[in-house]
Amino acid sequence: MRRTIVAAAAALFLAATANAAEINAPQGFKKVSGLVPLPDFIPGLGTLYVKPATLPVGPFLAYDRNGTLVSSIYMVPLADLDAHKNFQSLPVGATTVTATELQYNAGHPGVEAPHYHIVLWHVDRDAAKLAAK
Amino acid sequence: MQRNSRQNDGVTRRRVLMAGGLALAGLHAMPLSRVGRAVPATTIRMRSDPAGEIVMFDPVGLFVMPGTTVRWVVELNVHTATAYHPANGDYSQRIPDGAAPWDSGYLIDPGNEFAITLTVEGVYDYFCRPHEAAGMVGRIIVGRSAGPGALPPGDELPAAARRALPPVEEIMKHGSVSPI
Repeated sequence: MRRTIVAAAAALFLAATANAAEINAPQGFKKVSGLVPLPDFIPGLGTLYVKPATLPVGPFLAYDRNGTLVSSIYMVPLADLDAHKNFQSLPVGATTVTATELQYNAGHPGVEAPHYHIVLWHVDRDAAKLAAK
Repeated sequence: MQRNSRQNDGVTRRRVLMAGGLALAGLHAMPLSRVGRAVPATTIRMRSDPAGEIVMFDPVGLFVMPGTTVRWVVELNVHTATAYHPANGDYSQRIPDGAAPWDSGYLIDPGNEFAITLTVEGVYDYFCRPHEAAGMVGRIIVGRSAGPGALPPGDELPAAARRALPPVEEIMKHGSVSPI
């Protein structure tokens, strides 16, 4: 009896651990690594999800290794900035923003043109970056 | 001959990692001018900074003899080595007539590599698909300067790519041209 209880408790613990690492992205968001040839987990960013119809700007939702949403990222091509293109009413992954970052990127699969990553951090940025290495 | 070893066996992967380590060890000694090493290398590193701001083939210009196998190895970021040729999409031909165009496909992880043996003499220009607009292009001269790649590129190449291609004369003079 006692062995059964211990086994059941262990199973529950394992299930809880597995669930903690699962990523529950909002409906319609797809894992970026399933859409374009990119690693599942990108150092410095995390695991990215996006609605394909919103490419290239996004938002991309970035999750850490524990499945926690850490940032919302908008990828804006330089050509769109030069063309004075407007982007209005873009959704956010969470309403808490602890820091904002604008990071130049030379391009990558999915957004091949040079662009800016506009990153809204929803958690402590330094801790999240450290965890994303 | 093309060889794409994204799924490396252990021996190959170890060799690649060793080469990458040696290359990294030499970074601090890298000259600041574009002119690189006296001895032409046959391995071209696909480099990037961690943030993905700066990307490059290193060396960006290379002279080799016909029959040389050239290998591209990823250090960081996602790259391709793709010949300028209509077979690879809406691109003009910038490799010699009769030479086989190549496209490595996306090389995603550090240590991934792609190799091709170049036998037809002439100039071979190539690019990285996700980074062409940022100027990640390269030039290989096999034996002598000849073919469409020896002609100046026009507007069909992004401005940053045109600027990054080293002059044929510089490669012929030095054998290898560093991007930095």
